[in-house]
Amino acid sequence: MVARGRVVTDSLGKARRLGKRLERGGEGEIFALLDRPDVIVKWYYPDVLNKRGEELHRKVEAMRGLHDAHMTRDVCWPLIRVFDEHHRWIGFAMYRARGVKMGFLAHALLYQRYFPGLDRQQIVGYLIRFVEIVQQLHEAGVCIGDYNLNNIFCMPGSDQVTLIDCDSYQLRMGGTFYPCPVGSPDMTPKEHQGVAFRHTLRNPRSEAFSLAIVLFKCLMLGRHPYDIVGGDDPVRNLRRGKFAYGRGQRDVPQGVWYELWGVLPETIRDMFVTTFTAGAGVPSRRATLAQWHTALSDYREAMKAGECAVQLSMPSRPRRRKAVHAR
Amino acid sequence: MATYRLNGDSDLIDNPSPRCACMLVLDTSASMFGPPIRELNAGVQSFISAINEDDMAACSVELGVITAGGKVTEQLPFTTAMHISQCRQFPAAGLTPLGEAMTLALDRLEERTAAYRKAGVAYYQPWLVVISDGVPTDQWQAASARSRALAQQRKLVVMPVGVEEADLEALSAFSTRPAKRLDGLKFREFFLWLSASMSRVSASTSTTDQVKLPPTDSWDSI
Repeated sequence: MVARGRVVTDSLGKARRLGKRLERGGEGEIFALLDRPDVIVKWYYPDVLNKRGEELHRKVEAMRGLHDAHMTRDVCWPLIRVFDEHHRWIGFAMYRARGVKMGFLAHALLYQRYFPGLDRQQIVGYLIRFVEIVQQLHEAGVCIGDYNLNNIFCMPGSDQVTLIDCDSYQLRMGGTFYPCPVGSPDMTPKEHQGVAFRHTLRNPRSEAFSLAIVLFKCLMLGRHPYDIVGGDDPVRNLRRGKFAYGRGQRDVPQGVWYELWGVLPETIRDMFVTTFTAGAGVPSRRATLAQWHTALSDYREAMKAGECAVQLSMPSRPRRRKAVHAR
Repeated sequence: MATYRLNGDSDLIDNPSPRCACMLVLDTSASMFGPPIRELNAGVQSFISAINEDDMAACSVELGVITAGGKVTEQLPFTTAMHISQCRQFPAAGLTPLGEAMTLALDRLEERTAAYRKAGVAYYQPWLVVISDGVPTDQWQAASARSRALAQQRKLVVMPVGVEEADLEALSAFSTRPAKRLDGLKFREFFLWLSASMSRVSASTSTTDQVKLPPTDSWDSI
């Protein structure tokens, strides 16, 4: 859909015409700029602007202040403030992410369609880059908070990773704290469960827990670490630190999942076990980002040296033919 | 290394997506004869097509269909949308045993969520959509109490939709939310809305949170 006649201006009053609407999110719409396909505009919905416009504007300005010093093209950071024809602030412009959502990579039935020829070495390459970007954010005092595989873009055929939806990130600027007001219980550590996200103070330990879930889901092709046979939902299992893999390996879902687990290097398996059992309730027991970076880099080197399997060995089963809906 | 293949339901084993079970209970009684049943059939087909345009939703949504037209028929046991390509046409005939159809639907939903738990498959709150143009012609109060209780406990989203002269009061008894009246025969618009809702649910990283649904103004009327 083209937003006919939709024109926005930058802070110098220069008019820019919007192109195609690319996404409709929970808070606003994403448009391409008509003459700059590498730049997109986030335009918050009117009701969001009415309710929280000033708060959002302040946060986005703080983020823009952080940009020059710390951010790179790997994060779609707010760059330029954007106004409507009445000179009201309505959002911001940023670079457009290229690639495919990590959610399609972390899916046993979909990864081949979106990442042809994907192997373990490539997955680990994306994850190393992802950890590096999060480390870079943490160094700048920024926490992601709302970890979501659909907000991480991977470029097939390269190690390139780009993060989107950054205006929800938690940051502190000039003595002001800007929370990450959103999140998902399935990706949130125990100590932050049941607390309104806007009142949650994320920290490197809480981030390490959510990041470990992202790593697990990618290496395990979509399985959540707290999917357990005969158990409760993943959030209840998370709160209890009920992780099926590793020692005892009880209640692992049927299928190839334990095989996928078994080919991971012991160091990485141990880090997952500790993070998702003892670390579920004790943040200091969680593997840190630096530890993940080292372990994943070692894993990549071991694959390059031929010491670990590179191929994704999903067993080939005859694909079920599409059923015509009839009895 | 051990693998586990204990039953024949390979989709619950191979597909890691959290599931959203969506059961359609359709009134296919004689009063639906003509344009209403034609539009209903076209709407169900457009739903299947739209879901399959979204790969994530196609892996998450499991569709079941039960019709109430003279007798109750389970037309489609729960099947992941990615395995469904098209839909057979339902004829319109007979009375409206909606109570029996809803009871069967609730039984099937209970069985399916038990299968998810047994297989270690996470799931979103299941949906039960009931569409009718009249009043149930059998005993329906027990089914409505059961359905409403599940909705109150937030274990089930129940979406009653009335067509033309439907008894909205009776349909509303199945849910905690009032039945909506379809604007004319806008079945396709309704099913596209349902597909968009399923896409939002399946894109959610949370299996426990409520999802903000798209507006219903494309198909409902006051």
